[in-house]
This record gives sequence, C-alpha cells and structure tokens, in this order.
Amino acid sequence: MREPLTMRLLLARLLPAAAVLCAVMLVCALVGTERVSLARAMGLADAGTGYDYEILFRIRLPRVVLAAIVGAALACSGAVLQALLRNPLADPYILGISSGAGLGTIIAVISGVQWTLLGRSPIAVFAFAGALGTVWLVWLIGRLTGRRQVTHLLLAGVVVNAFFSAMIMFLTSIANSSQVHATLFWLMGNIMEEDPLVLWISGGFVLSGIVALFFMAPSLNAVSFGEADARAMGVNTGLVQAGAFAVAALITAVAVSLSGLVGFAGLIVPHGVRLVFGPDHRQLLPLSSVMGAIFLVLADTLARMVVAPAQLPVGVVTALVGGPFFLVLLVRYSRRVDWLTR
Amino acid sequence: MADAMNMIEVDNLSFSYTAVPLLSGLDLEVKRGSFLAIAGPNGAGKSTLVNLLCGLLKPQAGTIRLEGRSIAEYKTLQLSKQISVVRQEFVPVFGYSVLEAVLMARTPYYGRLGFGTAQDRQIASDALAATDTSDLALRPLSEISGGERQRVFIARALAQQAPVMLLDEPTSFLDLKHQVGIYDLLKKMQVQEGKTIVAITHDINLAAQYCDEALLLAGGSGYFRGSPGEVFTAKNIDKVFRVTGFSGRVGTGSFFLPLGQYARDREPM
Repeated sequence: MREPLTMRLLLARLLPAAAVLCAVMLVCALVGTERVSLARAMGLADAGTGYDYEILFRIRLPRVVLAAIVGAALACSGAVLQALLRNPLADPYILGISSGAGLGTIIAVISGVQWTLLGRSPIAVFAFAGALGTVWLVWLIGRLTGRRQVTHLLLAGVVVNAFFSAMIMFLTSIANSSQVHATLFWLMGNIMEEDPLVLWISGGFVLSGIVALFFMAPSLNAVSFGEADARAMGVNTGLVQAGAFAVAALITAVAVSLSGLVGFAGLIVPHGVRLVFGPDHRQLLPLSSVMGAIFLVLADTLARMVVAPAQLPVGVVTALVGGPFFLVLLVRYSRRVDWLTR
Repeated sequence: MADAMNMIEVDNLSFSYTAVPLLSGLDLEVKRGSFLAIAGPNGAGKSTLVNLLCGLLKPQAGTIRLEGRSIAEYKTLQLSKQISVVRQEFVPVFGYSVLEAVLMARTPYYGRLGFGTAQDRQIASDALAATDTSDLALRPLSEISGGERQRVFIARALAQQAPVMLLDEPTSFLDLKHQVGIYDLLKKMQVQEGKTIVAITHDINLAAQYCDEALLLAGGSGYFRGSPGEVFTAKNIDKVFRVTGFSGRVGTGSFFLPLGQYARDREPM
C-alpha cells in the first residue's frame, strides 16, 4: 500500500539515498586496477602519500563525480520527458538530442578542429550545440504542425532523429577509420577523466536544472492527466511544458557533451523508481536523480574493471546490466505496471 | 447590466471550429448557487461550451463573465480556485492512486515547495467520503471501474473547493444507483455548500428532477433556455433530436420516454 507523499516521507527516502550515493562514490573511487588506500591518500599515514593522493583526487574522483553528474541528469530528464509526452517509452534522447549531438560530434571529428572552450574539446562543444539545436528544431516543428499536441512533438522528434541519423551514417561512411573509431566510442557512451573546472560548471548546471525541475513537479503531476485537466487544476500548461522541456533538454545536452550517448539510464531509472515508490513527480525527480547517479557510477566502475587495463564504453554496461535488472524489477512489482501493458 | 445574483453571464457568445458556426449568439445567465443542466445532440457544442466556460477555449465573439469579470482577465491559477471541471475522457499513463489523484486538486493551494498540509489531506479524504470512494483511496486509478473513476474525478473536483463545478456527462458510465447517487451528491453540494453547478447530461429526465434551469442546444444559433419543464417538452425534443415519444407527468415534474420506430409502445402514425 502506497501512502501519499509528504515532505517528511520524501526526506526520509531522499536522505538515505543521498547517503548511499556518497558511500558508493567513495568506494568506487577506491577500487580499480591500482588499489588506493584512503588513509594514505588523506595523508593520515606517511608512506607513499603523493601517489595515492594523485590517483584518488586527480583521476578516480573526478571520473566518479562525472559519472554521477551524467547519471543524475539523464535520469531526471528522462522522468520529465515521460511526463511531458505522457509516454512511458520516452527517454532523454527521444526528441532528437542523441542524433543532434551525434551529428555535432562527427562534424567536429571530421573537420579536425583543434581548440578548447572552457576546458572542453571541440567534440564536447559541437555535441552540446548539436543537441540543443536539434531540440529547438523539433520543438519548432512540433509547434508549427499542431499547437500543444504532444503527438506532433513526438513525431517531429522521430523524423528529425531519423534524418540526422542518416546524415551521421553518410558522414561515417566517407570518414577515415580512425575518425570513425573515435565517433563510435562516443556514440556508445564513454566516461573519461575531466578537468575539475568542467566538473564544477556542468555539475552546477545539472544540479540547478534538477532543482528547477523539482519546483515544477506538482505541475508535472497535473500535466500527466492531460492538458485540459492540468489547466483546470490551475497549471499554466504552456509555461510548464516549455520550461520543463527546456531545462530537461539543457541538462541532457550537458550530460551528452560530457559522456556521449549513455543509453538506458534515462529510461529505466525513472521507471524503476516509479515502480517501487510511485509516480508522484515531487519524489520521482529527486529520487531518480540520486538513483541515476548511483547507477552510472556503478556502471562506470564496472566498465573500467571488467576488461582492465582496457575499458569498456559505459553505455555497453548500462544496457547489459541495466536491462536484466529492470526486468527483475518489472516482474517483482508487476502489479503496478498496468500503464505498460495497456 | 452586471447582476450580482449571477455567477456566470454569457453574452452573445459565438464559437466555431470550421466555417459552420457551432455556437452562435448564445446568451446565458447562471445564478449563484443554481443548478444548470445542458443537453443536446452529439456535436451540438455542449463540451465546447464547457471548455469555453472554463477558459480552455477563447470565444470568437461575445463575452463570458464570472462574478462580473471577463474570464479572459483571470489567470489560470485564479480561475482554478473559482471553477473545477470533471471531464469524460481519462488517459492513464502512470499508476497514480485514487488518493494521489484527488490530492492533486489541492495543487492550486500548495506553497512554494509544492507540498500540502494536514488540512489538504483532510479535504481530500472528506471528498472521497462524500463520493463514497474512501475504500478505493489506495487503489491505482487504472484498476478501478469506469463508474468508480467517474466518482473519483467528482471527488477531485470537490477537493478543489471552487464555487463553480462544471461537469461533462458526470453519469455517463454509471449504473442507476450511482447515477442517482451523483445527482443527489451534486444537489447536496448545491444546497449545503452553495455551489453553482453546470452539468452536461444526456439524461433529461434525471436532470429535470434536479436542475433549476435547463439549456437545450440544437447546434448553431438554435437553443432553448428556461426551467426544465419549459425546455424538455416533447415539441422541443422532436425539434432538436428528431425523436418522438411519450411525455408524461410525475409529481411536479415531467418525463419523456423516447420511442423509436420499432418500439413496442409506439403509437401507429
């Protein structure tokens, strides 16, 4: 039996989840091909201080933090898009973000530009611009074809996605093999060490995005019942749809520019949280963010451990591990998944 | 011209989706605390009128005033504290429970963080009790029957605590017991809490027993307005629906039994 949400209940679930996230991040930063001692890294014991410190704070922790940022952004924006489109199959990439970012990436790789912006490579910058540009294009087409029709938006997204995917394939087929390899790794989703400045900026973006979306959560609840009902319950639907859509697209674009196309996290994490805790967005958005962060930190740790010293693209792990895990959840809580079977 | 007795004043209202006018030159006053039933054939603009009254659609000509002020001047949030709406269609997407759905009606009253108080929860559980749905509270909305869901959405409208309730066929999926139950409930809300009720209905006999005023839309500029006895006459029904039948009296009211061509008791013409 599910009790309706109160502030207290939310905190009683969110705070332990956040504690688990911190613990997972710490443990994942300590394991790897090189064993790192926390005591030595913190300078509590004297032997070999510099080496452990370097690995922990310059390599592992930034990477773990990056995975957490990407996971939180994808899971939260996945939940938001499922609500806005009233479609349980929606994920953060559904409205063309993936193909737009992919197109940006391959253009950056092929044109061979060499400069950095705020510590970011041209690939990241092009991916970010491609992602936001495509979402804007899809939104524009959706508005042109039918005002306030989510089906039209969805269709516009599918068509733009298909068109840009074709362009990606075209460019891939005329590119040389080393360029293709770089793009392919990006398309599979790949987490690497990043500059602290990059982490601060993108982490700040994603966190403020999630907070902003949390304040729209009651409206998203109402919007799940359709636009007319939401309006009758006092929700300015036009504002909420445009606002939530823009913020979700922005944090997804940030995530994509950091890590490429990490699949699955944005689809299954919100569903998992919904299955276990219910669909209320005031809880779904913050909990999905935390769970998404945990999920991706674990997946990335696996990705760098399984075939060490080589590394798997994290997107491979999210799909391989996340898929079966989600199916277990689905069966376990199947009494609540009527919206999937109808 | 503004009459303080009137909750809703519709003046020379026109609306159409195509070149053919759906509503044209409609005048209507709904008195504060009264019960208006709207009837008419499919496609005569009943639902459109409700959508105009709740501000979802904008009139192409004419004005709609709520408490003497044009609907267009209200913000969405202000309007939701004045008018609650119960619609026919329901699209289940996520597994919200009955109680969660009813609590959602308190959204306009929530603070910045989007959480209600114990008072909001009390209002929601009172609304569930009033509609006889308390024992459904923790069930998912998609697992209950259509009739139960109809009552839950009426509960949600009650929990919104707006003085005006607009209902689009509130009894369409209900059995006889619950049809009568809903009309009794609406009447109780009207009398005890002074709510102004506007309900679309196909059941003119039941409506005639409960409403104070009736509006029979014929599509275009044709409509009949007045007391249910004046509006739901055999002559008007024939004109609007092209259906004849038996009309009789019960107590102070009248009823109409539609009789089709092959009905057993149809008099040979």
